[in-house]
Amino acid sequence: MSESGPRISLISSAIQLDAILDAMVESLIVIDEHGVIVQVNDSTLNMFGYDRSELISANISKLMVGADRLRHDQYLSRYRKTGEKRIIGKGREVQALRKDGTEFPAEIAVGESMGGARPRYVGLIRDLTEQRRAEESALQQREEMISVSRLSLMGEMTAAMAHELNQPLTAVANYAAASKRLLEDPSAENLQLVRETLDEIGNQAHRAGRVIARTRGFTRSADGERVVMTLADINQQIKRLAEVDTNANNINIAWDIPPELPAIEVDPVEIQQVMLNLVRNAVDAMANTPAASRNIRVTARRSGPHELRYEVCDHGCGVDSEVSDSVFNAFFTTKPLGMGMGLAICRTIIRKHGGELGFRNNDANNLSSGSTFYFTLPTQVTR
Amino acid sequence: MNKADGKVYIVDDDEAVRRSLQLLLKTVNIDAVCFASGDEFIARFDAAMQGCIVLDIRMPGLSGLEVQKQLKAHGNTMPIVFITGHGDVPMAVEAMQQGAFDFVQKPFREQELMDRVSNALSHSQELQQEETLRRDVAERYASLTPREKDVMACVVKGQANKVIAMDRDVSQRTIEIHRARVMEKMQVKSLAELVRMSLLLGEN
Repeated sequence: MSESGPRISLISSAIQLDAILDAMVESLIVIDEHGVIVQVNDSTLNMFGYDRSELISANISKLMVGADRLRHDQYLSRYRKTGEKRIIGKGREVQALRKDGTEFPAEIAVGESMGGARPRYVGLIRDLTEQRRAEESALQQREEMISVSRLSLMGEMTAAMAHELNQPLTAVANYAAASKRLLEDPSAENLQLVRETLDEIGNQAHRAGRVIARTRGFTRSADGERVVMTLADINQQIKRLAEVDTNANNINIAWDIPPELPAIEVDPVEIQQVMLNLVRNAVDAMANTPAASRNIRVTARRSGPHELRYEVCDHGCGVDSEVSDSVFNAFFTTKPLGMGMGLAICRTIIRKHGGELGFRNNDANNLSSGSTFYFTLPTQVTR
Repeated sequence: MNKADGKVYIVDDDEAVRRSLQLLLKTVNIDAVCFASGDEFIARFDAAMQGCIVLDIRMPGLSGLEVQKQLKAHGNTMPIVFITGHGDVPMAVEAMQQGAFDFVQKPFREQELMDRVSNALSHSQELQQEETLRRDVAERYASLTPREKDVMACVVKGQANKVIAMDRDVSQRTIEIHRARVMEKMQVKSLAELVRMSLLLGEN
């Protein structure tokens, strides 16, 4: 009795271990120092589509794709010679190969088993297909939201540009019509007036040209291409749009975007989406602010050797500490009509540009003194 | 069109648009005065101004609609022609509902604007003449004695002298004298004219 006890428990614990290994979701593969498979669990069979007999004694490279296969051999031989752990213990992403020839992304972690006379390596393999798919679709959705809001901004900007172009065009048409009438009586006085009017027509044509020149950067970047521009130029385009909102809500808006700040390499339309979003949030936040303090201040400055900071300071309702962690989450909103996509999109855009989007309450002890939302952008693009 | 008819008050934030409009109107002998903002115009507004207002609907500061509202509160009767942009249809509709005379969409043909301005000026002139007449008539009416006013009220209702005399227990001759005095003071020759004047007074 005293002898058989430990033996029985050894056998039963081996059976129990097999059962545990087979119940694992991950694939578990044990190989020797040459990469020959000595043990696999049931998940391995399901994941790769082989029978157990097809895998035992086969080389591990059977489950790998070309490049990974070669690398794996090198890792093993290097480890044998130098003891350098290139893969041991590290989670690594590889392309795995099924029996039917299809590939799938997998994460592999390898451990060394020191128990026996010869070294054994235990590999744990996790199928990343589902995770990848989820990540990709989340990314794609975010990109789609960005491009939808980009389109709507481009629409607004086109309307604003049309308005801006209409001013010089109206003046040109008026001046031309006036000149024609003046020439019906070509007195010396009228001729002089026509001369002056022609100068003015020229000036207005140039003015229209400047409006178009200012927007050229934006049309060029229609496909999301990055352009080197100053924050002041980028901001210029949304000023009118923002002022339509602030005027309609009796809000005073002050801009201080120094034109001499260094230019940055950005997708201007995306940055404008963020700028306009922050200003419109500020407008919404001040719905219940008394008339005397309905002010928004937009500023930009250097905030580091290679960093610019754009801030929108309002006197609205502030951000409650209860929600301050979630304001950047998708679908989070405090607005009755909000979709909750604004700040989530903004943060994605700013991070894409290597900056950060954040906020602070102007006075932590008094929410009604409003909040300041800001973003930073690097002045030197690191690739 | 006659330049004595009144001035055009141009309110537009864009200097080039303002100046070109002013020049254009000058070529057809219409005097125009320019204002760069709604605030500027309201500060200098006087209910005695005559003519019409050309008002840009989209301006920084006070919007055109806001200016229209405030002018109304200040007793403005001058017709307003709005200048609107491409996407401003809803605002233009609101302006018309608030009693704007007309609007033109930028960029406009000069004839479009001239037509509207000249319509507005004639309308303003008609309003002015009517207003002058009404003031005259009110003055004449004020000069009547209480008995003459009483007789006039009966006459315009179509009552015969005999009936009026009987109701008041006076002679028909007395009523005839009152009636002649009314016609003389109101400076009318016929009953029809007197009726029209009483209508004009009634509207007041």
